[in-house]
Amino acid sequence: MRVCFGVVLAVAALAAAAPVSAHHAFAVEFDAKNCSDVNGVLTRVSYENPHAYLFMNVKLANGQTQEATFQLSSTSNLRRGGATPAVLNASINKDVIIRGCASRNGESHRYAASFIKLADGTVQRLGQDVEGIFGTKVWR
Amino acid sequence: MRTPTALMLAAVTLGAAPAFAQIEDSGERNKTFVEARGNVRPVPLPPGGPAPRMTDGHVDLSGTWFSGPTGRANAWSVVPDERVAEAPIPFTPAAKAKIESMTRAERELGRAQVTCQPLGVPAMFVDNPYPHQISMKPDLFIHLIESNNNWRVVRLPGRHKPAEEQETLYMGDTATRWEGDTFVMETISLDTRPWIQGNGWYKTDQTKITERLRRPSRNYLEYQYTVEDPNTLTAPWTSAWRTFSLSADNEVLTENFCTNNENVEQFMKLAEQEREKQRR
Repeated sequence: MRVCFGVVLAVAALAAAAPVSAHHAFAVEFDAKNCSDVNGVLTRVSYENPHAYLFMNVKLANGQTQEATFQLSSTSNLRRGGATPAVLNASINKDVIIRGCASRNGESHRYAASFIKLADGTVQRLGQDVEGIFGTKVWR
Repeated sequence: MRTPTALMLAAVTLGAAPAFAQIEDSGERNKTFVEARGNVRPVPLPPGGPAPRMTDGHVDLSGTWFSGPTGRANAWSVVPDERVAEAPIPFTPAAKAKIESMTRAERELGRAQVTCQPLGVPAMFVDNPYPHQISMKPDLFIHLIESNNNWRVVRLPGRHKPAEEQETLYMGDTATRWEGDTFVMETISLDTRPWIQGNGWYKTDQTKITERLRRPSRNYLEYQYTVEDPNTLTAPWTSAWRTFSLSADNEVLTENFCTNNENVEQFMKLAEQEREKQRR
């Protein structure tokens, strides 16, 4: 299904409402122009506030592994969006793909995550849509 | 018809090509979007009939309220936030210069959402993406927010404390009254640490916030606030009305304490990097 922007805008107009303030500004901490799909084995889920984290072992080209850290949304948003601890923990020690945008602070392998393709194939939302890949672009 | 999920999974299984390449490469207006569990498609609630009233005849504002019109959390809406048109804020030249001198990271470090301080007034309504629970009686307004489980309780009608008893508080000292069906709260003596909004707009000891709440129908709550401060503004400034909607699933707030905060360290690092760039 290709999304018709006219339809999106019509819905946007219908839903005209308050500006919903994000937890904080994504663009300050992460680079929305530097996002990629990161493949690896999910090793740990840290379900905490103000942000949850996922940890992944990424296999590098030289055969070594590197730990990658992904900052997720708050546990309130995750729980309401279906990303419960049980859902995420079910993919531990399994291959997953996480869409992540790189940190601006110079730390390599630190990202903000927008979604994960879980081991069972489910694509699960994890954070803000800074790239516009879910149909919106939210610069905060 | 090809579905986004099918396209995406096809890209994944291609192996050699980076997954989701079509997302990175496509234009802004014709891209294929990712279908993910958790995406919210906004469907506004109906008005739901007249607003309930309390035993004294005033409108009852009680309920669990989400920002926006859907009666649900909208953090992962697939429709962009609609920015509400508001008048420019009439900052004094000194306040404008002070705010503009802050780096982006420094502005973030003043946000209670980043530092996990109490949000205070009015940020608990305007810088808070999480739901609210209001419990109201003819003589009491209890406002709970999920964000760091903050709360405030005010009496109604209520007067300000005498000047000699004033103390600086995140929620300040609030006087309340009804103006028809609009509940009005005037707050002074505010702790100046959290911004008014999340943009560096700071409070002073002269800041006065007047909030107005109304419930035009059962499913909707509306909020507006006015800021007065001779130290930072050349005239009072009033926001647009913001819309909140009653929980469609009869939700209550969940525990959301901010106890593992790595953001402050991250933002301090970024602030130092930004200042270093400016020094060069």
